[in-house]
Amino acid sequence: MMKKAAFWLALALFIGQAGLAIFATPEAWGHSLSVFGTHLKFDLMVDSLSRAMLLCISMVLSISLLVGRYDISGEEHRFNFVNLLLIMLSGMDGVVMTTDIFSLFVFMEVTTVTSLILVALKKNNEALEAAFKYMVLSVVATILMFSAIALLLLVSGSTSFSIVQAALETSKHNFLIMFAIGIFLCGLFIKAGLMPFHAWLPDAHSAAPAAVSILLSGVQIKVLGAYTIIRLITSIFGYTSSVTYILMLVGTISIIFGALGALGQRDFKRMLAYSSISNMGYIVLGFGCGTTLGMAGAVFHLFNHAVFKSLLFLNAAAVESQTGIRDMNKMGGLASRMPLTGITSVLASLSGAGIPPLAGFWSKLIIILALWMAGYHGYALIAIAGSILTLAYFLSMQRRVFFGKLNEEFAYIKEAEFGFSLAAVILATVIVGVGLCFPLLLNTFLLPIGNIFGG
Amino acid sequence: MSSEILRLFWSFGIFIIMLSIIGFYCVFLTYNLIRVLIGLELLIKAATLLLIVVGYINGHEALTQSLVITLIVIEAVVMTVAVGIVLGIRSRHNSLDVRNIREIKG
Repeated sequence: MMKKAAFWLALALFIGQAGLAIFATPEAWGHSLSVFGTHLKFDLMVDSLSRAMLLCISMVLSISLLVGRYDISGEEHRFNFVNLLLIMLSGMDGVVMTTDIFSLFVFMEVTTVTSLILVALKKNNEALEAAFKYMVLSVVATILMFSAIALLLLVSGSTSFSIVQAALETSKHNFLIMFAIGIFLCGLFIKAGLMPFHAWLPDAHSAAPAAVSILLSGVQIKVLGAYTIIRLITSIFGYTSSVTYILMLVGTISIIFGALGALGQRDFKRMLAYSSISNMGYIVLGFGCGTTLGMAGAVFHLFNHAVFKSLLFLNAAAVESQTGIRDMNKMGGLASRMPLTGITSVLASLSGAGIPPLAGFWSKLIIILALWMAGYHGYALIAIAGSILTLAYFLSMQRRVFFGKLNEEFAYIKEAEFGFSLAAVILATVIVGVGLCFPLLLNTFLLPIGNIFGG
Repeated sequence: MSSEILRLFWSFGIFIIMLSIIGFYCVFLTYNLIRVLIGLELLIKAATLLLIVVGYINGHEALTQSLVITLIVIEAVVMTVAVGIVLGIRSRHNSLDVRNIREIKG
């Protein structure tokens, strides 16, 4: 009884957070709240970027909860899953709201350890091996970031964002500071799964249960990677030419090689994981160009990617639960047997590839426009080429899995369970709705995010 | 920063760099899972030493103490989970050698 109640309680909590993120007035969030007075400094602050992230987190977590209800077998396992999800919520919300580098680091560790346990949840060979690989890389990332924090402490004497920023302003081109920023960014690139540091991501995504893959791809790499990069660069490091150069280079490499990696995969979930690397590249590239428009595009693409990648992982889970395999070459024609899964996955793929009325088109358009307007014509052309590659691998996936000749083995399979269909319909509605309401959102929600820098 | 402080920093810095090199060697170039964990421990120790030195040079000993204690707690949690994963791998493969357990490809 208690264990059933935990599920509904968690769902109510996630929906409550989404409601707060959408409807609470900026004034209610605007001032910082100090939790334990002056003795234990624990400052929280929420601005429009954090609100967008809070919305993303609550949406993806509730979808993951819905899927986990059908995907994870055994009452005890499900109960553990819900509890781990709640710990993860606290860690992610902490990362998004904190204003202190050390607290940021602690919350990142909370999230990382939780996701480590979640990846190993199935306890088979594949899951344990992926979890070990993930563990080694994420501890290395942790150490890089922690050393950077120690070096920043040497310069500034405190770990609060504003004090560190003020200290960095006065001594900008010190060798130690450049070194600290470099290794901090390296650690964040590992957490974000960007291309030279991506080795853990495809394994962890494909080995984990479906609910956890949604979580990892939909929100974890974004909160720990992309959000933290954006937050630290806007409020501590500041834009310098070398930071811009590194971000744009890593973003471009991720876009191209992530897409090429996705083209070559046979495993459904592995292909989606490589696609995540490519899309993280878009986010970093859009942010790296350093204009207001680029930042708005990056955050919007972050939101869109959370929606459509969750939906695609959901479809992969539905297909896997009905057919029992993940090899795309052995499937075919499933759209005729599972119409809802087929339709929603077409919508998600088109949104990911950037086809006009859907949400993904607008965010890619903003990123490419921002790159062009900032004068990076070459990077804009590479982004367009990456978009074509994206279309190629999504179409190839659709043809191999949902269209074409139906394999006789799967002639009698049925549509996936109700939980999967409900979550898929909700996410597809969000994709179409955001795409159609885009002109409304642009001025009210997106451009204020870009105004974080400077003001 | 005066040259005196910088010299103090670098005299500890040599040890920190040595610890890091040994740690990275253990993590990436050995084949035993337990040795990988020991390498990670060494790396975390190097970071802790760095933080202590920074606190000593800076004069913010109280702040650094609390940070170091937090780091030790985090380290204990991460290592517990890591050892759990290694034990799981060992009970399945009956071996701790990385070369025997490369099943994931691509």
